[in-house]
Amino acid sequence: MTSTYVPLESTKFATNHQREWAKGLQAQITSGAKYAFVNADTPHELFHYMDVPLVTNQWWSAIIAAKQLSEYYFDYMETLGFHDRLARYSSLPLIAELEGDRERQPWGGLPKPSILCARQSADDHQKIFSLWAERTGAPLFLLSSPAVPDPHPEWWRLARSDWESFYGSDRLDLMVAEFEALVEELEKLTGRPFDHDGFARYMEAINEQERIFEEASEILASAPRSPIRISEQIPNVMIPQWHRGSEWALSHARRFRDELAERVRAGSAVVENERIRMMWIGAGLWFDTSFYSAFEESHGAVFAWSMYLPFAADGYIREIKGDPLRALAARVSAMNEQLHQPPWVNSWLVEQAKKYRIDVALMLIPEHDRFSGHGSLFAKKALEEAGVRVIEVWSDMVDKRQWNRDEMVARVSAVLDAVLAEKGV
Amino acid sequence: MPQPSPFESRRAAGSRLEHAFEARDRNQPAASLPRIGIFGNGFPETLVAAAGGVPVHLSMGQLSEKTAIDEIIEPFVDEEVRIFLNRLMNGEFADFLGIVFARDDAPALVAYQYACEWVRQGRAPAAVPPMFLWNLVHATTPAVERFNAIQAEKLFDFLNRIGLNRPDDQAIAEAAAAEGRRRKALERLGASGVSGTVAMRWRNAGRFMTAGEHADLLDAALGEIEGGARGGLRIGVIGSPLLSPASYELFEGFGTIVCDWQPWGAVWPGPGNDKLTLPEILRATAADPSCPRIAPTTAFRTALLDAVTEARCELVLCQLAPTDDTIGWEIPAIASALGERGIAFVNLGFREPDQDTWHERAAALISAKLEARK
Ligand code: SF4
Ligand code: SF4
Repeated sequence: MTSTYVPLESTKFATNHQREWAKGLQAQITSGAKYAFVNADTPHELFHYMDVPLVTNQWWSAIIAAKQLSEYYFDYMETLGFHDRLARYSSLPLIAELEGDRERQPWGGLPKPSILCARQSADDHQKIFSLWAERTGAPLFLLSSPAVPDPHPEWWRLARSDWESFYGSDRLDLMVAEFEALVEELEKLTGRPFDHDGFARYMEAINEQERIFEEASEILASAPRSPIRISEQIPNVMIPQWHRGSEWALSHARRFRDELAERVRAGSAVVENERIRMMWIGAGLWFDTSFYSAFEESHGAVFAWSMYLPFAADGYIREIKGDPLRALAARVSAMNEQLHQPPWVNSWLVEQAKKYRIDVALMLIPEHDRFSGHGSLFAKKALEEAGVRVIEVWSDMVDKRQWNRDEMVARVSAVLDAVLAEKGV
Repeated sequence: MPQPSPFESRRAAGSRLEHAFEARDRNQPAASLPRIGIFGNGFPETLVAAAGGVPVHLSMGQLSEKTAIDEIIEPFVDEEVRIFLNRLMNGEFADFLGIVFARDDAPALVAYQYACEWVRQGRAPAAVPPMFLWNLVHATTPAVERFNAIQAEKLFDFLNRIGLNRPDDQAIAEAAAAEGRRRKALERLGASGVSGTVAMRWRNAGRFMTAGEHADLLDAALGEIEGGARGGLRIGVIGSPLLSPASYELFEGFGTIVCDWQPWGAVWPGPGNDKLTLPEILRATAADPSCPRIAPTTAFRTALLDAVTEARCELVLCQLAPTDDTIGWEIPAIASALGERGIAFVNLGFREPDQDTWHERAAALISAKLEARK
């Protein structure tokens, strides 16, 4: 059982690669290379393809948090006059920048970016990025984000090839025009022209990578018992996703998929006597990852699902159709809306819960990041109607300062006890 | 029959405005035209008027009774959305031909999405009218202009489908002319010397009637009075949408509100409303700096600072809805810019559910600031 769990080889490869890559990026940036500072839901593909080093807001935020600096900056944020209900994790890098003491920051601080980029999906993204632009004088490139007025619930079925009508030609035209303007900026920045054919090949490589992840997800969903923990699922998907389309990323996706297949073939399982399958809805619990395995021994309960792996396929595979920029627009134009807005989020979670044979869902509901919190209760209701028990976990409970592991274990255990009783165990 | 004296007709017009403000979307406009619901700022009402409807705002009502939809509304959703959704599912808007939601007004998008989903799931009563998302993007690039023009076409298709006319150039110009009269009347209102509290009520009364009726009532209510600055400290109000006369009265205990620059203040009607052609209406609406989603983003703060400076404010009060996640990002920069201009600034923080508690705190904060400035 728990004690005999053997981590994947792939995980080591992934984290090593990420460490090396981060070192390389640090060396590049601190030695004065031009780089972009961008939000998570922007078209990273364009920056990667144009070889513009990229620092992502959410990733840099995690690096700051890993240095145990969040609390210091949250306090500082209040002394500046920002109220305590504003989004925190997406603004940590900004606050560090405003605070200004570079020595305190990882890497001795970030130099001024050559370009900033955000999509106006959440209402506060543009505010956060424009404060950054004001502070550093770096130019800000904003991508607009009109909504999809008639969202078909089964986005994961339609968005791969029927994306033109699914996302709407007017929205795609607008996004492509904005991409073209962004590409022009990047051409100026790098002094290199954008090669459309090469970009099409790069986009094909990304689709290929995501199809490998889709196979990996099928393996996990159909395995009689869960062969790995989600704490391993997450890095093996997220890291190659940062580097999507690169040779390393594709070969890593294959390595991961093959290792999973091998485990299933060998009949290995996280829990020998698996009785309950759970899904973890929301961002990771980065400061207490062992919580993910807390119910394996006591209840034979395993977290079998986290969004990152299945989203790699559903959120990214977009048929190129001879127009790679438009296919990229289809990927980006409602990227995180699909995870956070009804009917998309509720329909998808139910589909995934059925596919993964889920009994219980732990649903993180962020209160001070409304964009990511909307639709949570729609999703909860839909899951319950599909026979899944849902445990709501509001964000203050997963705030590191207020995290009470014992209390949370007790809450979850009570639900798991009930499920076992129902199953006659 | 004896003619009413000018004084009486002035009084009658004033009380019509007061009544419309109190009744909100239940107000009966003088014109018996089909009513179209509007949720959010950022939609040029002119276009509904040009199609032969009365635009009526639905985000300012009171909660009568909760319905089943309440269970899926998270606590961080804006209060006006919760009230609207419950009322909608209670069948309270059955007499509206359709409802238009302004995407760039944050609460409106959520209201639209939650309402549509409840309908899609078959949980809504039949009395829910057809709904339309007004997707206008607040920017001024050529690509955005093309996009916004398409949104106007989609709007016209929608209005046509629910039984109104497809607005032609002449109908648009006529509706814009009525908006122009309203704009002039509102300018007079601002200069008339009535209190900021009355101005807020009389202005917002216009959200529940035609622009023409609003202009007529304002003109009648203001009568012959010409100007007349009110004395006292010149106050500006900024922050989240605020509609409470009691809060206004409290603020005006310290002076006069001369600049009301919050979403339910003098930023409405939007700058596109009285432009005479569709392209101009769209362009001006898209450039409305009071939209928190305007690009470039600095336009919002610049316009706010210009407004309070032009109004010669001596004190600016900022108040926030408990769900704010946007204006809060502007506060430190606004505070320091006001400081540089020598304008006093008090951040009253979040409004509290208990009005007395919040008013007590607000009064104490304002007094302390004024005391310190002596
Ligand atoms: S694919 Fe990965 S390694 Fe290559 S440039 Fe992009 S981030 Fe760097
Ligand atoms: S929570 Fe949602 S919006 Fe935030 S980074 Fe994750 S996917 Fe993007």
